[in-house]
Amino acid sequence: MADVGIGVLRPAPEYNEAIVKKFLIASVFWGVVAFLVGVYIATELTWPSFNLGLSFINFGRLRPVHTSAAIFAFGGCALFATSFHVVQRTCRARLFGGEALANFVFWGYQFFIVMAALSYVMGFSQSQEYAEPEWHIDLWLTVVWVCYAIIFIGTLMKREEPHIYVANWFYLAFILTVAVLHIGNNIDIPISVFSAKSYPVAAGVQNAMIQWWYGHNAVGFFLTAGFLGMMYYFIPKAANRPVYSYRLSVVHFWSLIFLYIWAGPHHLHWTALPDWTQTLGMAFSVMLWMPSWGGMINGLMTLSGAWDKLRTDPSLRFSVTAVGFYGMSTFEGPVMSVRDVNALSHYTDWTIGHVHSGALGWVAFISFGAIYYLVPVLWKRSSLYSTRLVAWHYWIATLGIVFYITSMWVAGIMEGLMWRAYDQFGFLQYSFAESVVAVHPYFVIRLLGGLMFLSGALLMVFNLIMTVRSSSTERAIAPQLAAVAAGE
Amino acid sequence: MDIEPSDFIVGLLMLVFGIVGLILASGAMDDEMYVFGLSLFGFATVFEFGLLRRHFDKAEARRHG
Amino acid sequence: MFIRHELIEKNAFLLLILTLLTVAIGGIVEVVPLFTIETTVEHVKGVRPYSPLEQRGRDIYVREGCYLCHSQQIRALKDEVERYGHFSLAAESMYDHPFQWGSKRIGPDLARVGGKYSSDWHYAHLKNAQGVVPESLMPHYAFLAETPLVTDDIQARLRTLRTVGVPYSDEDVADAAADLRAQADPNGDPSALLKRYPKAVVVPGNGREVTEMDALVAYLQVLGTMVDFADPTNEHLQQ
Repeated sequence: MADVGIGVLRPAPEYNEAIVKKFLIASVFWGVVAFLVGVYIATELTWPSFNLGLSFINFGRLRPVHTSAAIFAFGGCALFATSFHVVQRTCRARLFGGEALANFVFWGYQFFIVMAALSYVMGFSQSQEYAEPEWHIDLWLTVVWVCYAIIFIGTLMKREEPHIYVANWFYLAFILTVAVLHIGNNIDIPISVFSAKSYPVAAGVQNAMIQWWYGHNAVGFFLTAGFLGMMYYFIPKAANRPVYSYRLSVVHFWSLIFLYIWAGPHHLHWTALPDWTQTLGMAFSVMLWMPSWGGMINGLMTLSGAWDKLRTDPSLRFSVTAVGFYGMSTFEGPVMSVRDVNALSHYTDWTIGHVHSGALGWVAFISFGAIYYLVPVLWKRSSLYSTRLVAWHYWIATLGIVFYITSMWVAGIMEGLMWRAYDQFGFLQYSFAESVVAVHPYFVIRLLGGLMFLSGALLMVFNLIMTVRSSSTERAIAPQLAAVAAGE
Repeated sequence: MDIEPSDFIVGLLMLVFGIVGLILASGAMDDEMYVFGLSLFGFATVFEFGLLRRHFDKAEARRHG
Repeated sequence: MFIRHELIEKNAFLLLILTLLTVAIGGIVEVVPLFTIETTVEHVKGVRPYSPLEQRGRDIYVREGCYLCHSQQIRALKDEVERYGHFSLAAESMYDHPFQWGSKRIGPDLARVGGKYSSDWHYAHLKNAQGVVPESLMPHYAFLAETPLVTDDIQARLRTLRTVGVPYSDEDVADAAADLRAQADPNGDPSALLKRYPKAVVVPGNGREVTEMDALVAYLQVLGTMVDFADPTNEHLQQ
């Protein structure tokens, strides 16, 4: 049966750790960039003079820099890093495709990030949310992504472990679906192959549906499925416990990837999108609550029997809190997908609050948990430089998130109510401008929340640099080797 | 000279990208395409040199290792 | 049942194919019928392709990310219709490549802003929004008034739009540069322009050259004006 002798472990192959390290460093770097740009555009919204009258840093050009940096640069590099780490370890196989292909994926992806950001500030954008890069940059990303898929799938196929571990199902779904979404939403004709300007083939209502099929599933697959892959590896690893339920993983995986795709129309309630499509989107968004909470339960209950680790391991605290925020966001989302709730929330800052509870609470926190776990492992250090700093990061960032989302809830609901308010004569009570003035204090609080989140991340940068460089985190070498070294 | 298939394929790709970048920059109708074309050429060139460096470093390590 | 899942877990190719099939379904069901069900885009009169100057203005609106703060979609809700006008029809954005319905209102909806303010108001507002609306959070776009409009690619733009389905005729494309100049020349003769593009608004311009701001104002002034909702022969068919 087995070709391994009892008690004899085949030695692990030499994993490609260099690529994981590169993507980790990039993720942390871009995270700080993303948070910084976020803070700056929040400042512009609070005090518009910060736009400085300049074209290349105004809100309209900088906002996509922030969203692309947060989703694709910070989030994307974290996904690359962890997916490459996890697929190698769980398959017991070195990355397929050789060093050159892996390095191309890394540098090619960084090139994509830089080119996209540069294009936005230069005044080139397709102005489709989370798909702003123009056609030539989209093409480049497609090339890089195909290479990513080749590496990941190739590694799966050369695995020594017969079962594909659950984290890899999620990473695979993320890679495949993002490819389909990216291509589907970027069918554009450039005005000339020598011009950066292009027009999408679709228009109007069809374009709107395709865009939000893409946009919601950028959230569902890039920001959810991929990071669930992260959760399914790093929480059990850090807690030293198995995943709570295999059966739940199976049910949750298939129902999540099936249901998520349908949710797009909830971005288009009460618009010119036909009613039947809106209703489908709403129904499936509400159903989506179940597999999402299935994932949350699976992640949280993995801590069963190890809850005390939350006291002693602050990086595990990040991962577990992330799952809590995931549960919160995946409850809020279905609520906001209900047409009558959406009539109030659409176009308001409630949507922004919802986005950031997911982006900061779930995506960023699960990434921080993975990063704090991985850095000592990959750089072969005994531990992180300071667990106290991790705790500080955790509390400052969590407080920042709370300020952010509560201020946006208040601002959003206030906007929605003011826009629909009638006075006793039956006229609209507030002008639009009055609603802008009313939310100003909440924009200040949101800015404060963002500043706190950024500060926490800077603590993390310091901690990680010291982890790698400080002598205090050097691993003690085994006694017999020390004796041999001394004897030479 | 023993070239790894991965190195060879990626190296060939880089050659193509470099040429594409130059062509795009040469006919660019706007600043963005010009910057992109030149950057693509620059990226391909630097990456190509990197591939060459790694190849010869590994060959030398094998000889002296 | 779960013995069979083991089969999927041990076969990367099977996992890949089943995943792809699973994620394909929702998209096909929600997207394809929007192209095949004829009433998705209502049969109303008046919607026309953008004039060359309007289209250039739209391209500027798109590249500056205006949709990030301004929606262009009036919802079928009472207070919204009262504030902004008739709810938006799918037909009104049928030539919008890309659509710019927007997701956020940091500024008001613009779906029917055409004709609501004078062109001079738009120039002043775009240059310094707070000068006209003190509470505004809008950045200053004075640089648009100082940037001459690049016009040598206008035919390429219209031809590409024709490729993606906007019904520009050969004359429309041939006369594009002339139409563009005519729409920014208040002293010129707009009759040819208006014949091709009814309800196009001639913008004052600065008398020297056509600027990017001229284009943007021309675009803003046509928004929401194409369909005549007072016309009883315009049927708003159920989608």
